Amino acid sequence: MRSNRTGWLMLAPTLAILGTFGILPFIYVVYVAFHRWNPFGASPDMVYNGAKNFRRLVFDAEFLTAIAYTLKFAVFAVGSEVILGYFLAQLLMKNFPGKAFFRTIHTLPLIVAPIVVGSVWRLMTTPSIGIIPHYLNEFFGYDMNMGRDAGTAFLMTVIMDIWHWTPLVTLTLLAALLALPRDPFEQAEIDGANRRQIFWHITLPMIKPAILATVFIRLMDALRTVDEVWMLTGGGPGDATRYVGLHIWKVVFPKTDYGYGSAISIIVLYLTLVMCWILYVALVAPRPKKEVL
Amino acid sequence: MYLKSKITAIAAVLMTTAFPAFADFWSDAGAKYKGVVLHGVTESSPPSVYIKEVLAPQFEAATGIKVEIETTSWDQMYDKAIKDMEAGTGLYDMVYIEQDIIYAYLSRNFLVDMTQTLADKPELKAPTYDDANFTTFANYFKNADGHLFGVPMEAFIKLYLYRKDLFENPDIQAAYKAKTGKDLAPATTHEDYTAIAEFFTEYGKEKGMELWGTTAQAHTGHAASWYEYYESIAPTFGVYNWGIDPANNYAASVANGGRMNSDEAKAAMKYWLHLRDIAPPESAQSTWTETATTFAAGRAAQGLIYGENAAWIASDAEKSKVVGQVGFALPPLADGVMAAAEGGTGYIGYYDGGAFGLPVTSKNQEAALLFLQFIGQNEVQPDWAVAAPRITNSATYDDPKVVAMDATLGGYYTMLKDQGKLFAGAPPYPFHAQVREATAPIFYQILTGAIGPDEGLDAMAAKAEEELTNLGYRQ
Repeated sequence: MRSNRTGWLMLAPTLAILGTFGILPFIYVVYVAFHRWNPFGASPDMVYNGAKNFRRLVFDAEFLTAIAYTLKFAVFAVGSEVILGYFLAQLLMKNFPGKAFFRTIHTLPLIVAPIVVGSVWRLMTTPSIGIIPHYLNEFFGYDMNMGRDAGTAFLMTVIMDIWHWTPLVTLTLLAALLALPRDPFEQAEIDGANRRQIFWHITLPMIKPAILATVFIRLMDALRTVDEVWMLTGGGPGDATRYVGLHIWKVVFPKTDYGYGSAISIIVLYLTLVMCWILYVALVAPRPKKEVL
Repeated sequence: MYLKSKITAIAAVLMTTAFPAFADFWSDAGAKYKGVVLHGVTESSPPSVYIKEVLAPQFEAATGIKVEIETTSWDQMYDKAIKDMEAGTGLYDMVYIEQDIIYAYLSRNFLVDMTQTLADKPELKAPTYDDANFTTFANYFKNADGHLFGVPMEAFIKLYLYRKDLFENPDIQAAYKAKTGKDLAPATTHEDYTAIAEFFTEYGKEKGMELWGTTAQAHTGHAASWYEYYESIAPTFGVYNWGIDPANNYAASVANGGRMNSDEAKAAMKYWLHLRDIAPPESAQSTWTETATTFAAGRAAQGLIYGENAAWIASDAEKSKVVGQVGFALPPLADGVMAAAEGGTGYIGYYDGGAFGLPVTSKNQEAALLFLQFIGQNEVQPDWAVAAPRITNSATYDDPKVVAMDATLGGYYTMLKDQGKLFAGAPPYPFHAQVREATAPIFYQILTGAIGPDEGLDAMAAKAEEELTNLGYRQ
């Protein structure tokens, strides 16, 4: 009894902070989502309007387009990061000259604030001053203009995200690889398994939980990306990189459509949870064992 | 720390030498608020930085009231100010009010009526402060009763800048004459402007120079492009106030009595899109800042540039390659627009600027009111105008320092003084950002070519009316 009370007492500060800054605002967002509320409307008051905001977003082409672009962005960015991160982690498992230096340099993007990353990439990609368009033109004769080419803008947001976040994936997978026991690998080698077989049948199943955790984290981040993309493209050209996080920001802040913006936020949260659940079920959840007759 | 105390000491000296007669008022008035710390938020622009680094320490030296000014980006500044005033937290005692948002703030009663408060509390009224000292730009910050809700702190007009060294080059003049049959001079019509732009873009290509015929503030995902079209291009074709008619149930479409998709609006859009196509390649990613940088780098022969940037382009050799080579002119216009502007029924471009206002949520309103009067005095204006080119008080134009600065700027201040009346700020819409954000996605599609200018403007007019209906302004 006493230990229970002590436990709760020790948890209390954390719970208070979580409740104040996590749960209460979430409840408020849910509340606002069921209201029509634009403080700069003719009637600035909050008016209850049932589920109209949720109904509206089903027919909102801008929102649906933003969702589609975001999913495409998340798949390309996170997929590339996991593959690249795995190979870099494998590289860092080996010894080579300058390994410590490489590991430090490789990890540096992680400590740069997203808004700075966006600014730097914007400078690097602006026609006539950026080094990327300059060298693309010099070596390949290609006139890169992200402001006018939706495909290039999309690609640059993906590359920027890969540059920024692959180190996180590398470090996570490196930790997982370093923690693996040597025995199964030695046994497999003795049994004559080749590298591909070792990867598919031993390495991958053993680091699957780490991969999944990394994918969850990166997927959630990718689905709510705002600042980097805002700095790099502003969501353009047109709506080509107006990912859902940026879309929500534009609806809630400049447009001050608080009710509708809250509804979008909740739906996006729901979609994120569903996606993570599907991934979990597909990759990790225990499957019912087949009965042996 | 050393720099801070140095600034404070200089400020104290300036206070006692510049305003000996009124030094007592500030110290007496400030005595009541000793220990108070005022907080302000503003956009990080040269005039704001001057407030932070010079006027705030001067005020502190004079009154003992400490002032902390937070300078941040345009978006962040609004985000912080609106959240503070909406939630009533009272974090800020002064907020920057750009001319285009004042109507939204007034509609929400966010701001203190300065005129009324000073009338009610005459002991707070500084003898050196008078609303009548301001230029007519202050009218944008007044309500229907003529009461002031913000102290103007910066005012600019968006002018037509051209490269004098190129326009006055005899070889170039001859080449232009041979090509067009006309003399090379700043354009007064859209046709001439286009011809000059095309000529210089081609000239740059032929000579292998990094030179184009015009700037274009045509970012395909930032509101800057929307503003360039609605504030600087459409009015020169006679489409005012974004083509929305407040007197006609806020109609935007021609079918309902608006002009957002009128023939003139469509002609303006096509004119501008063509200019964008022959502007430097960075134009599709250019906001107001990058457009200025493009011109300052000597990459454009002419362009429409915001006044706050025009000044440093013309005078700051550390940042600009075209110092001493910048000419100023009025924007090219369609027939009838100048007459409408002179008659008060239209305007030829954008009168930009902002004021410092006092939120009703401030917990230090009286002390803040003292500071706002301090920065509104005639006495502090000349040095401010020289340090961060902007003029908000009529008397500033005649100060010798400012007259000298005007010569450096190629007559920019003279143009602001004499022609400022032909320009106008944003229309008095409380739904400014809302309609902009609702229509901007379609606007960006026009820029990318995903939709044609004609059908794009039709869609924008319909979207504007839909948004105005949702907001409850349009019945």
